[in-house]
Amino acid sequence: MGELDGRVACVTGGTRGIGRAIAEAFLDEGAQVVINGRSPEKGEQALSEVGAGESLHFIAGDVTQQEVCESLIDQTVEHFGKIDIMVNNAGGGGEAAPLAEMSDEIWNYVLNWNLNHPMWCMRRALKHMIPQEWGRIINISSMYGKTVIPTNSHYVTTKHGLNGLTKVVAHEVGTMGITVNALCPGGILTDVMNEQGPVAAEALGMEFQAFLDMMAEPSAIKRLNEVEDVALVSVLLASEAGAGITGSLINVDGGQVPY
Amino acid sequence: MGKLEGKVAVITGSTRSIGRAVAEAYIAEGAKVVISGRSEEKGQNALDEMNAGENAHFIACDAGKQSEVEALIDGTVEHFGKLDIAVLNAGGIMGAAPIAEMTDEVWNHAVDLNLNHTFWGMRKSLSHMIPQESGRIIAMSSMEGKLAKPTVGNYTANKHAINGLVKVAAHEVGTLGITVNAILPGLVLTDMFYESMPATAETMGVTLEEATAMFTQPSAIKRPNTVEEVAAVAVMLARDEARNFTGCLFPVDGGTMPY
Repeated sequence: MGELDGRVACVTGGTRGIGRAIAEAFLDEGAQVVINGRSPEKGEQALSEVGAGESLHFIAGDVTQQEVCESLIDQTVEHFGKIDIMVNNAGGGGEAAPLAEMSDEIWNYVLNWNLNHPMWCMRRALKHMIPQEWGRIINISSMYGKTVIPTNSHYVTTKHGLNGLTKVVAHEVGTMGITVNALCPGGILTDVMNEQGPVAAEALGMEFQAFLDMMAEPSAIKRLNEVEDVALVSVLLASEAGAGITGSLINVDGGQVPY
Repeated sequence: MGKLEGKVAVITGSTRSIGRAVAEAYIAEGAKVVISGRSEEKGQNALDEMNAGENAHFIACDAGKQSEVEALIDGTVEHFGKLDIAVLNAGGIMGAAPIAEMTDEVWNHAVDLNLNHTFWGMRKSLSHMIPQESGRIIAMSSMEGKLAKPTVGNYTANKHAINGLVKVAAHEVGTLGITVNAILPGLVLTDMFYESMPATAETMGVTLEEATAMFTQPSAIKRPNTVEEVAAVAVMLARDEARNFTGCLFPVDGGTMPY
């Protein structure tokens, strides 16, 4: 008997890293899960690695595009009959640069990825959740949704924005059986980190390892977080007992951000 | 297989309400639990009602007294052989009054019962947890640890202080396998609420219904939280898998605190 028996979840950016860990934790608790990602190849690979049979379904699409987000929600409902849990997990940084040198192109890309994508997905998912009077929305924000790192104005700003959006939507649907929360992880050595971290480190004039240390050192645990940390609290929020937790920005950062 | 199989927990103020719900949830997950409270009679009643056999044990303790709190922690180790989880849950609102009229007696009692009890329990627990290099400390704070309402200055100041204490302790033991977190519930209709709230409401010059609404209306869910919602978080934080959650002020307040 799982904590999420009978539930249907959709996880953006779910083929690898944090999203994949959340998807696997949801499957373990009895949910049916749609994972999304840009690459059909990585999607197929994830399906075969997880080996969850018909309980796991992949839908390809780039969530920086509005129509992809909306179609993803509708396809989830089409495939599994409903949507109970929406995890807006996709996101990341772009080319790091001081604001004075930030290009429109990269700014707009990160804005779409980190802030507009959760808005598009949430708005569409609520159309299904409000009539059924049950829903769980989990936005994967970041400790940088509360604190700051230079040369990443796009990332920091959009994660702050996501935290604000989370609180507003929580209050709008708070009496409808729907909760909306944001998780604020510290640094995690995901594939995205391995791809983008060295670039971000270079923009700060440091080695990649020093960049990782910079994220671990201010924490109480003096190490990076892990994808399983985010999955653990995601299961709690998605469960029945999570009904009383909403509009919360929950730190998953080993004690780093003190507020 | 329970999530807390083989663990030993002690919970202050746990013959009723939130503490009791945490105790029952821990036992359901396979832990052995020492419950405590001032009254032997309520302790015996609780043990009878919980019907957990040798997995539950009662030790009488007035959480406002240092010697009794320390004896409770040591008594847990004596009885069950070790201590893995300490939930410092006792506390309360008493003697509501504007600061201008608050007596030393009421103030000092609140400091002992809320803040000092947490400090005494934490320090003593750490003396057992540090050598074994593992442990979970959970302090029961409150949304009033971040917010403020008139006439409950003693309670509010103490809960704010507990939040500070938790963050410092988390950093001190962050690399020793020990986590220290606070749970910040919103209004929960506990026995404590029914005992203290009528007098508090009177001091505020409002009816009990109005006082209740003062707590629930700012939330997104427009209802009190439940003891089960708090207990679910207490289970999650106590798990081995929650090793990277520390220094966290975990809200269970239906979206009341925006930060």
